[in-house]
Amino acid sequence: MSRFDPGLQPERTALAWRRTAVSVLVGSAAGGRLLAGQLGAGAVVLGIAGCAFAVWLHAAAGARARRTSRALARDGHLGRGPDGRVLALTCAFSVLVGAFAVSVVLGHGLSGILTSR
Amino acid sequence: MSDSPTGPGPRRFPRSVYGTGTEPDPRFSLANERTFLAWIRTSLALLAAGVALEGLDLALQPGLRLAASVVLVLLGVLAPVQAWRGWARDERAMRRGVPLASPTLASPLTAGVGLAGLLVLLGLLLR
Repeated sequence: MSRFDPGLQPERTALAWRRTAVSVLVGSAAGGRLLAGQLGAGAVVLGIAGCAFAVWLHAAAGARARRTSRALARDGHLGRGPDGRVLALTCAFSVLVGAFAVSVVLGHGLSGILTSR
Repeated sequence: MSDSPTGPGPRRFPRSVYGTGTEPDPRFSLANERTFLAWIRTSLALLAAGVALEGLDLALQPGLRLAASVVLVLLGVLAPVQAWRGWARDERAMRRGVPLASPTLASPLTAGVGLAGLLVLLGLLLR
């Protein structure tokens, strides 16, 4: 049982962060592998970069959980808890991956359609 | 409590969120954070689906397959924007004690995923 909340909100939040980090890891590894055939070494490098971000995110999730726990134990609220910095970085990473995905999809799809004519 | 929710804490980023109102129930802030993360994972799933559709060279009509992919990856780019804006807006609303708004991207997401499904189905029939 949690010391702060019988609904285990801090624990569920920490697990949500870790789940997200694992998703990034799997997505980066699978994406790098899938696109290596078309894009060569560049895809492998980007895949490894994504994996590195995932490892950092997983570590940041742990630090965040400890900070949340400390703030709640000391103050009973999150006034001195974690803030939006890791959220902003996660968001920026997702937008970058998205921009890359758009260029890959358009590049592959359009070249396929144009060469088949 | 060693200090009040309104007392001067550390400077927290972003100022547009933490510079207003009072510290809400921590459970609500944590739930808001999990909603942010759910949007991020939704974005990753949409991007993975869009890239896989093209990257695996699935046997669909090429134009329709590309259209479905583009719909999915565009939604995948918009989802993190919704994640951040929704999180900041809801956290600010909770700090001010005003009602929460519904996510702006919810309806476009539903429509877009439906459209992508329809395009894949047509792509299968017309290949």
